[in-house]
Amino acid sequence: MTISRRDFLKASAAAAAFAAAGAPLLNPLASGEAEAAEAGIKWGKAPCRFCGTGCGVLVGVKNNRIVATKGDPSAPVNRGLNCIKGYFLSKILYGRDRLTKPLIRKGDRMVEASWDEAMSLIAGKFRESIDKNGPDSVAIYGSGQWTVFEGYAASKLFKGGIGTNNVEPNARLCMASAVTGFMTTFASDEPMGCYDDLDLGDTYFLWGANMAECHPVLFSRLIDNRLRNPNVKIIDFGTRRTRTSQMADQYVRFNPQTDLALLNGIAHVILRDRLYDETFIKRHVVFKRGKENIGYGLEDKFKFADEPKLINFDEYREFLKTYTPEYVSRLSGVPAKTIVELAHLYADRKRKVNSLWTMGFNQHTRGTWVNNLVYNVHLLTGKICRPGENPMSLTGQPSACGTAREVGTFTHRLPADMVVMNPEHRAKAEKIWGIAPGKIPAKPTYNATEMFRALDRGDIKVVWIQVTNPFQSLPNLNRYRKGARKGDGRFVIVSDIYPTRSTELADVILPSAGWVEKEGVYGNAERRTQQWFKLVDPPGEARNDLWQTMELARRLGHGSLFPYKYVEKEIWEEYRKFNEGQGKDLAPYEAYAKARGLRWPVINGKETLWRYAEGHDPYVKKGEGVSFYKNKADHYRAVIWARPYEPPAESPDRQYPFWLCTGRVLEHWHTGTMTGRVPELKRAYPSAVCEMHPEDARKLGIKHLQKVKISSRRGSIILPVDLNGRGKAEKGNIFVAFFDEGKLINDLCIDAYCPISGEPDYKKCAVKIEKA
Amino acid sequence: MPVSGVLISCAEGAAPDVSRKIADIGGVEVHGVIQDNRIVAVVEGETVDDEVARVTELQHLEGVLSVSLAYHNFEDDEP
Repeated sequence: MTISRRDFLKASAAAAAFAAAGAPLLNPLASGEAEAAEAGIKWGKAPCRFCGTGCGVLVGVKNNRIVATKGDPSAPVNRGLNCIKGYFLSKILYGRDRLTKPLIRKGDRMVEASWDEAMSLIAGKFRESIDKNGPDSVAIYGSGQWTVFEGYAASKLFKGGIGTNNVEPNARLCMASAVTGFMTTFASDEPMGCYDDLDLGDTYFLWGANMAECHPVLFSRLIDNRLRNPNVKIIDFGTRRTRTSQMADQYVRFNPQTDLALLNGIAHVILRDRLYDETFIKRHVVFKRGKENIGYGLEDKFKFADEPKLINFDEYREFLKTYTPEYVSRLSGVPAKTIVELAHLYADRKRKVNSLWTMGFNQHTRGTWVNNLVYNVHLLTGKICRPGENPMSLTGQPSACGTAREVGTFTHRLPADMVVMNPEHRAKAEKIWGIAPGKIPAKPTYNATEMFRALDRGDIKVVWIQVTNPFQSLPNLNRYRKGARKGDGRFVIVSDIYPTRSTELADVILPSAGWVEKEGVYGNAERRTQQWFKLVDPPGEARNDLWQTMELARRLGHGSLFPYKYVEKEIWEEYRKFNEGQGKDLAPYEAYAKARGLRWPVINGKETLWRYAEGHDPYVKKGEGVSFYKNKADHYRAVIWARPYEPPAESPDRQYPFWLCTGRVLEHWHTGTMTGRVPELKRAYPSAVCEMHPEDARKLGIKHLQKVKISSRRGSIILPVDLNGRGKAEKGNIFVAFFDEGKLINDLCIDAYCPISGEPDYKKCAVKIEKA
Repeated sequence: MPVSGVLISCAEGAAPDVSRKIADIGGVEVHGVIQDNRIVAVVEGETVDDEVARVTELQHLEGVLSVSLAYHNFEDDEP
């Protein structure tokens, strides 16, 4: 490289940063210089491959290889900036151990095979199991990393072709409680607000969400907002001190599980001190109470059905009577005075208030309830469906919303909030799919945990895993890892781009195309649907998961379900029919090729920033102000739920005296299969550590970086203790990240789940700690 | 050699100090200290891994709130 070209490249790098910072006047380049330095690079747009934020990336390609990336300056989500994970985009497709050929198990060895050989074997196993044990003996398990097309094809083949509802995503372990929270409160999934609320509000309550590390770009928007407006307050409710806590204006430590009590305590004060918005409540809200003492899903084949009953405002007030600040303080450890102050802050009419959360609420044995309870506070105060004040559930995977939730790749769901239990919904799906009436089974089968329990028991024989890593990410992992290799007709297929802890248990491994090696659509946490074109070829014989699924369909005699020429576009146009007129309208495919994403409902080419709000959402009629128009059963009102505090499935006791909480760190994403391929990153945060409070360590005689054995009733693990990490455990708590494939912390986690959402609780179980 | 352009957000009043400390990290050049406590810098390394190491170091500097990536060119990084 010549010196001058290098100088131009450096200047281009600086210029991009100046432009993203809103200081383009300092751009040192003369017109044309950047283009000269980047000669031969062709740029295409794509959403980032990692989290659910949905940042825009410009991907630079030369000679069929990615050679540069830019934060997309035209992307409204991230406005030209990516987080540190942007560096890994250069690497995720180019790790040395990339899978490039189908592999078939021969005893303990995986042997290279042709696609024809691998697909014949797979189709044979499917056919054999369906003939012998029925369609419910085969399953597909994907994730919020599936593109819309991949998830749609999987759902169509399994529900509409094979005739089983055995379709589940990793999103069940991640977002299911958010879905059931939205469905039970508003009768429609996904948020009313959008990321613009991060710029427009002035009061932000974060509930168990480490945004600074897990959603850094969104957190930067909050911090920028605070820079512009000194009135902005960020309150971090947490069970662990994080980077987010350090940067918040107030950190409120609470005991695990007592978020339920705290939110009821806040509602109690709002009612007691008459801080609620009476007009809003009268016009837009009904009150309900459901079943209580609902269990934890610990037994195989656990079933639960709620029985909601309408109650009135006085009955709701009566229900809240117990939740005095003093009572809630005793449960939560938060001073009563703080609870009162924060209730007043939530209800302050001069403030624009937002709540933000992710896994702290969702991975919770009462995850649906705690989602309901945060909506209660917004509905009581009328701080909802207005620019700058909304509750907002953040997501962890790039298309948890777009694919898992909107396409409906859960056992009970169909596209556009429809469910298999509803005969009209099935009929609509059967019509669009052009299949015989009655083909889609009316009964949901298994949630994710139950699906792998069924594999362990042998009720499911054949499972195909795409774009995810359940044999690292399931709770009580040991049971499910053993179950996968029990033999007796069990057959596991894993499609991935790298070897993982799941491929090691597979009978067939299929090499997949990743990210911009295929055309795709993802949907982010603010209802933004983003499209990208294929920019480079996949390596070796790797093929995209969409093709793989359609190839199985063809070999099983269901090829007529996929009669497409331009597959992606035609799937999109078919899928769009589900959404039309349902408050979930999507634009024609070409619109997404041009736009940096559009937020649904998209009506006449115009996206919707705030749902249910007059003047913003075309479904709301003039004069209505706010209309929860999807909730016909409750006369277009939202539901305030009386949901009590109930304890977690397992709490610390004398034998297992510590809480274990698991989660993510900035440098790694999910199970580390992509980020773990950057060697330096592995050095920066090489392996999991046990974050512990120094006082707890002192009592046990444990020093910084000393190895300890952590045990739960389900498993144990040896890790070094970190007393000096960037996350600080509270007394009586430890935290371990789950990215490390060499240290399977999920062996220790309990497979208890929320009975309504089926989502497991990875944030609370009891462990003991001994010197190793 | 890969090159990247980053934007460093600093705590109130910390930008000048951070900017001086950055000068001590090899492979990172400050290109400007701008409004709202922010710094534009260019990071270079022999490999992408070197760059990430330097950015990690930046993140750990006292007064640094976050480091964002605006541009990354790695066309000469060995496959």
